[in-house]
Amino acid sequence: MTKDLRENRLKARIRVIADFYHKKGRMPSFSEIGDMVGMKSKNAVYKLVNKLEKLKVLERDDKGRLIPVSIASSVKMLGTVEAGFPSPAEEELSDTLSLDDLLVKNPQATFLLKVSGYSMSEAGILPGDMVIVDKGQSPKNGDIVIAEVDGEWTMKYLDKSGDSVTLMPANPKFKPIKPKKELKIAGVVTAVVRKYR
Amino acid sequence: MDTNPLTISSWPKAILHLDADAFFASCEQAIHPELKGRPVITGKERGIVSAASYEAKAKGVKRGMRLFEVKKACPDAVIVPSDYETYSLFSVRMFEILRRFSPDVEEYSIDEAFVDVTGLRRSFHGSYGIIAGKMQEAVEKELGITVSIGVSLTKVLAKIGSKHKKPNGLTLIPGREIHLYLEKLPVEKIWGIGPNTSAFLGKFGIKTALEFARKDERFIQKHLSKPYQEIWHELNGRSICPVISESKSSYQSISKAKTFTPPSKDKAFIFAQLSKNLENACIKARRYKLAATRLIVFLRTQDFRDSGIEIKLSRPTAYPVYLFQPLKEGFSHVFQPDNLYRQTGVVLSGLMPDAEVQRSLFDDNSKMEKMAKIYTTIDVLSEKFGKYTVHHAASLATKIQAQHEGERGDIPQRVTGLFKGENKRQRLGFPVLHIKV
Repeated sequence: MTKDLRENRLKARIRVIADFYHKKGRMPSFSEIGDMVGMKSKNAVYKLVNKLEKLKVLERDDKGRLIPVSIASSVKMLGTVEAGFPSPAEEELSDTLSLDDLLVKNPQATFLLKVSGYSMSEAGILPGDMVIVDKGQSPKNGDIVIAEVDGEWTMKYLDKSGDSVTLMPANPKFKPIKPKKELKIAGVVTAVVRKYR
Repeated sequence: MDTNPLTISSWPKAILHLDADAFFASCEQAIHPELKGRPVITGKERGIVSAASYEAKAKGVKRGMRLFEVKKACPDAVIVPSDYETYSLFSVRMFEILRRFSPDVEEYSIDEAFVDVTGLRRSFHGSYGIIAGKMQEAVEKELGITVSIGVSLTKVLAKIGSKHKKPNGLTLIPGREIHLYLEKLPVEKIWGIGPNTSAFLGKFGIKTALEFARKDERFIQKHLSKPYQEIWHELNGRSICPVISESKSSYQSISKAKTFTPPSKDKAFIFAQLSKNLENACIKARRYKLAATRLIVFLRTQDFRDSGIEIKLSRPTAYPVYLFQPLKEGFSHVFQPDNLYRQTGVVLSGLMPDAEVQRSLFDDNSKMEKMAKIYTTIDVLSEKFGKYTVHHAASLATKIQAQHEGERGDIPQRVTGLFKGENKRQRLGFPVLHIKV
């Protein structure tokens, strides 16, 4: 079999899996992939999955279930160019991300927030900006977090050292906050978006 | 009464029912964290309670209560307008989270789901209780709302489980323990058994769910129709109703009703409301390629009295132009000039697939084809530019006069505080946290 034919067959298989994913909203199981692409042996499917994993078409989580990578993107990766030069996107198969993928890691746990104050201005976050807040990630030292301190809501750097936690503003005109009674972290700020026009 | 279990196998199947606690109010508390722990009520724009948080329920606030009654019962209640866009986003996310656990998720309503978790104990290295607990945790961590879960052998039993303890409850009913949960449960509390059936069962001395479940099959077959026989099987731990993971593709009936404030006596305005509901219902019917054979028209007065009428249509249709005549007749039957009305509604029922509609000899076929073209175009335009871009003149009054008197604060915050690039019709598909930082 020539290289072209092999490539075409692989692309067709990726398309089948992508279609399944977009229709059902989940990745197929190994046996479902076998049914769709006409492979009877699970081992053959396993090899195909390995190949697709290398091409960053999909991924496996720690339990071995499939996670879509490039096929989850709304940008179409695999066109059907009939003649002429293959488009660069096809050659690379999938090395682009949509802005959504870039900005949102956990789509089910992501919220938006409109900034109103200046306490993080030196970090480049200004009133009117949109920040993207992820409730799914656990906060680490140095993260910008949305937190409730003794009943007041704030956005600050999280500064953990040993047992003590301080919320640090990025604007020197604001004071660091040390929680007296209670600190609840509502989410981690993962990005700021400012649209000009 | 004997105390034998109804079935001895513990988990031949595992069906989970999840019910979000005071869903709309919980969503509001999740995006307005300062409202956590306070009595929150949604439905400001309608003048009645759509949902009440548990803090408000504790003070006696109930669904459907009028807002001035709420202010008496619970003066510190925070009353907000409904923000269905945000609730839908939460709902979709909740179902997505459930699908991480099992592909068999039935979206039963905006805040309820059934999940078939049979056989998942191995992959999650834990009991069904642990799986349910993980779901509860994931929803609470990522969405900030609590849910109540019941796990049992059948849908009917799972639903009993999720109601057993609320809010944030988790109830497991294995086969051997079913009878313990049915013992004290009145028969009318069973999912699918209404006041008529429970009264009927009462005539045979059946008062509790357990008494019903223990009746022998011959009695059940003799006296009850198929849906109730199925409930009887399900109560006995035999799963009859499967979890249907496909999204809804067909309807028995489609109803559209809208409240307007202030209440009105204006005949033209009230008819326009009705006409808008009709157009709305028809849009939905066309989306599912259905045609109605019956039309129900109803009006609700300011003091919550309903009057309605059902009209049989001469030909099944989903085109308002053929429905205006019956709508007008129905309306003039029901409408009384002295009444103040607050809500109108239409129901399209007796739905059948559009493709199966038979045309009669006397139909004007060319006109019907023309109408099909017109409405297809209207549907395309609506999709592109928003609903009601093109509408019937009869609905015009609803465009000129606002649905609700413009008291500020009746519009959800999501629509007033837009981000740059968003507009009245299209917004980013993420819920917005309303925190001042």
